[in-house]
Amino acid sequence: MDQVLIIDDSQINLTLIRALIIKQGGCEPIVFDRPLDALEWCRQHVPDLVIVDYMMPDMDGLSFIAAFRALHGRTEIPVLMITANDQKDVRYQALRGGANDFLTKPIDKFEFGARVGNMLALRAGQKYLANRAAELEEKVQERTQAIRDRERELIFRISRAAEFRDPETGAHIQRMAYYSEIIAQGLDLDEVSRRLLLEAAPMHDVGKIGIPDLILLKPGRLSPEEFEVMKRHAVLGYELLKDSGSGIMQAGAEIALSHHEKYDGSGYPKGLKGQQIPLFGRIVAVADVFDALTSSRPYKRAWTVEEACKMLEDGRGTHFDPLCVEAFFAGWDQVLEIKQRFRDEEIPEL
Amino acid sequence: MSPFVLDRPAVLERLGDDEDIMFMMLGMCCDDVENNCRELSEALVAADLEGLRRAAHTVKGTLASVSDDDGAALAFALEKQARAGELAGAEALLLALQARLRHVAGVLASVLASR
Repeated sequence: MDQVLIIDDSQINLTLIRALIIKQGGCEPIVFDRPLDALEWCRQHVPDLVIVDYMMPDMDGLSFIAAFRALHGRTEIPVLMITANDQKDVRYQALRGGANDFLTKPIDKFEFGARVGNMLALRAGQKYLANRAAELEEKVQERTQAIRDRERELIFRISRAAEFRDPETGAHIQRMAYYSEIIAQGLDLDEVSRRLLLEAAPMHDVGKIGIPDLILLKPGRLSPEEFEVMKRHAVLGYELLKDSGSGIMQAGAEIALSHHEKYDGSGYPKGLKGQQIPLFGRIVAVADVFDALTSSRPYKRAWTVEEACKMLEDGRGTHFDPLCVEAFFAGWDQVLEIKQRFRDEEIPEL
Repeated sequence: MSPFVLDRPAVLERLGDDEDIMFMMLGMCCDDVENNCRELSEALVAADLEGLRRAAHTVKGTLASVSDDDGAALAFALEKQARAGELAGAEALLLALQARLRHVAGVLASVLASR
């Protein structure tokens, strides 16, 4: 039912227009003989059509239209102004001032019906478009979310593919990703950056796909020549991901390249030092090393958390960014919770 | 000014041949007459030009709605005079308009009674 707001200080006109609106069908008349009361009503309600007389005490029709249009969300509502036949200048002012059309007195039922019908059809079109816009926006959000979910799944599976040949497990990439997020939280990174890091960190060793089994799966210590080959996984991971249009993959490329750099410049592949190392790389270095130390491997036992923490402490300022180590310890309760949640024997869920 | 005769076909045509709305409107015109007359008098006594203009404008609309062109012209004259700020001669116009209103109301009452 369309709500038609009628404002006229003449009771005869109010009654007449109200009766005509009811006869129009599908309309609910809302009547006011005082424009200020009508304006107050409009602050809380949105009519589908406004029919307003020109000459009224307190506030004339032109002023009412201006005040009505100034309310939020009322600029498009159709407005019909009623004027006497001899008020051409008033009609022009009304059209310039925001009225969509006008009716002249004495009111003619057919003309009234036609103009009101046109205005209500205009309003129906507005509402349809607004609903359609809202529906489309909702669909776009759903599809965008679906795309993001697929992207995350793809990243996770790519990361797992890299780990398949390596003794490290899927739970490792989950743990180190969450450890990285904990460090980011401790460093007061914003939510968008933390989310990005969480999603990109699992790709840190994706370059291992390009390392021969002979070296990747060697149980014992690598020779210097073998280690040089292994070190290539950082650049390989970067090359694999860097040209992606995805922000997550680009962050993954940066992490792959920089997570083996050391704070004192003795790392690889570039020997970057201190703040030269991208922040994500410095964060992942701490997270990855801690998880590697505290995990079992065919060639080593898992270190205790105390042993691993000492290693991080000893490496402050040399291997690791001191602030990243501090942020990691600041989130210690969460670290233990993550360690418990993603145990190696469990199949990690996305 | 010639006596008022209700031009029923003209009024009905404008109201889409809707007799219900026509009789409702005629009834309201009759009911409002004394109110209209009082508003005109009070505005003139108070020298309230804006009030006089609005009251005359309202009466103009009422008389036009029952197709009393002569009465509507009289109301329009008073409205213009009030808009121009001329009170001289307004009283005579006002008295003529009040008389016209009461006359028209009488005719409408007869039409309603003979329904």
